[in-house]
Amino acid sequence: MQVQLQTLIGGLTLGAIYALVALGFSLVYRTMGLVNFANGQIVMIGAYTASTFYMTAKLPFAVAIVIAVVITGALGLVIERVLRPLEGRDFDLMLIGTIGFGVMLEALATIIWGATGRAVPSPLKAAPIDVGGLRIRTYSIVVLIVAALATIALVAFLQRTKLGSAMQAVAMDPDAATAVGIHVGRSNAIAFAVGAGLAALAGGLAGPLLYVNASLGGSLGIKGFAAAILGGFGNIQGAIVGGLAIGVLDSFAAGQFEGYSELVVFVVFTVVIMILPTGIFGERTVNRA
Amino acid sequence: MIPSTKTVLAVAASALLLVASGACSAPGSDEASGGSDSGPIKFALVDAQSGQLSSLGAWELKGAKLAVNEFNEAGGLDGRKVELTVFDDQGDPTTGTSIASKVTAGGYTAMIGTAESAVTLAMNPILKAAKVPSITSGQSPAISKLGSPFQFFNGPTSVTYDETLAKYLVEDKGYKTFAMISNNGGYGTGEHDAFKAALSSRNITPTDDKVVTTDQKDFSSVLTSIRGKNPDVLFIGTEEVEAGLIAKQARELGLKSVFAGAAPLSTPVYAQTAGNANVEGTIVSTPYLSNDATDASKKFAAAYKAAYNEEAELHGAKAYDGTNIFLTALKATNGEGGQKLADQIRATKYAGLLGSFAYDDQGVGIHETKIGLIKSGALTAAQ
Repeated sequence: MQVQLQTLIGGLTLGAIYALVALGFSLVYRTMGLVNFANGQIVMIGAYTASTFYMTAKLPFAVAIVIAVVITGALGLVIERVLRPLEGRDFDLMLIGTIGFGVMLEALATIIWGATGRAVPSPLKAAPIDVGGLRIRTYSIVVLIVAALATIALVAFLQRTKLGSAMQAVAMDPDAATAVGIHVGRSNAIAFAVGAGLAALAGGLAGPLLYVNASLGGSLGIKGFAAAILGGFGNIQGAIVGGLAIGVLDSFAAGQFEGYSELVVFVVFTVVIMILPTGIFGERTVNRA
Repeated sequence: MIPSTKTVLAVAASALLLVASGACSAPGSDEASGGSDSGPIKFALVDAQSGQLSSLGAWELKGAKLAVNEFNEAGGLDGRKVELTVFDDQGDPTTGTSIASKVTAGGYTAMIGTAESAVTLAMNPILKAAKVPSITSGQSPAISKLGSPFQFFNGPTSVTYDETLAKYLVEDKGYKTFAMISNNGGYGTGEHDAFKAALSSRNITPTDDKVVTTDQKDFSSVLTSIRGKNPDVLFIGTEEVEAGLIAKQARELGLKSVFAGAAPLSTPVYAQTAGNANVEGTIVSTPYLSNDATDASKKFAAAYKAAYNEEAELHGAKAYDGTNIFLTALKATNGEGGQKLADQIRATKYAGLLGSFAYDDQGVGIHETKIGLIKSGALTAAQ
């Protein structure tokens, strides 16, 4: 029983990171109907940027993450601006454009930060909490709390602010939204910026748990993408549930199937998607293809 | 003036012919293949320069480059310079095979790399067929079993690493219970088999024998299972980043066992990923204990520091030794590659940073390792 509970805790921590990555995917898809394949690499850029301000500039960890979120948010704006001329014209080219940006960002990271990568020390020195033999890392609790707060903030932004409502309107019917004076391009830009900011948050938080190098975005991106689809692509709550589900599934599969765990995770994922093609929350969002 | 269609077609056709004539040349038949006596001699360095194993590739490149630069500065081969071209295999065997074709078609005299056993295994048949000697930093016994006369190691194989380690742990330290974690990659599989065989020959069966994937990040499940049995030693048979994550999570979960393993556990990446406090007391089997061990290693470390402003470590030293062995043999063949160079490498006796190299039929040149202990974040010789 203890093994199962400990596995669950480990899975939830990584699941929270996957959930944040999934949120980045879902938000852009929800607004634009576009899969931003550069999202994983933006996670990596966020991780590197946060670690640089934390380890080199010696700023507090939280401040370093906020700076990383702002910088990658700006990066999101740049990507959207470059892709904007294709909006409504060539959707496939937009998709390829995001893949191209991903490749470019990985190469750029190697040029800026080198090939070796870096280990980020944990900002919390407190020993793990022992609950009847179960060990809970204090940093894991922080990751779960931050992921929860980020989700609440995102939902509040989308549902309670004028800008958020405008983005929802664009998602539902871009032509009608334009007719009532909503700037579709600006709405898309905000979606890209917020999505990239969430990716940076995921990357920054993942740093002390993992190891930051240029390929970090690859593995986190794939799991985050799978999480978004599992939850219901474009659904905010779905991204969270999907992320946690993939994290926990991953951890249990590692214990039961060892070297074949990756295979098992994606077989289970495929079976679930075959039964529920629109994911757990059955989200139906825009498809401008 | 706008060129006519005919002119454009003629230029395009000429360009195609030029490309085709280059592509049709027999491998190694051009001037730079090593058989000629003028022009630069081309060496290929193949290693991960991106991806999770890129730290290994970066160290390898630095070590090899240092050796080549010293060779060229000392006058090269009667004035001929060695030219090092870098290929990024991304730690991926498929990319490796595609690079192997480029190396064989590109007239390279020799190949330095790779640091990954799986990539070395994938590239081997193509290099063997083209008779291009290569030296790997991988250590999987599966490579030596290939029996290629053109494949060499610049360090010991896992059998040597783990036999020495098991001997020390069981016979010198008297540890009785062992758990194992290895990954399902080329390196991890070799480590798993070698350490398990070394334990088995001492009548020890591990309490846990867990296999993880090369991409795994959370080890809660396997570590909690191991913690329940409280073994004296946890053997970690994975690359450095993964080994660091395992060590960190093991201590966070309250596992008290001593960590033990081979080369990856001697690297700064392992200690930094896990945190210095977590790796304290780790027992490592390695042919390169410290930069201060000998006059040669001090000289190498000083040159490395001057060139890259970094502390030298095992993988840089391995690549430096391997490249120097190839360069020494190259002098003896007067720049000739192929079978003659391979035979000469096998005949070369070389006093390197890792020890005295003397190659056997399987391409293994170093047959012993030392035991190190991590104390206050630094690797020291075990007493």
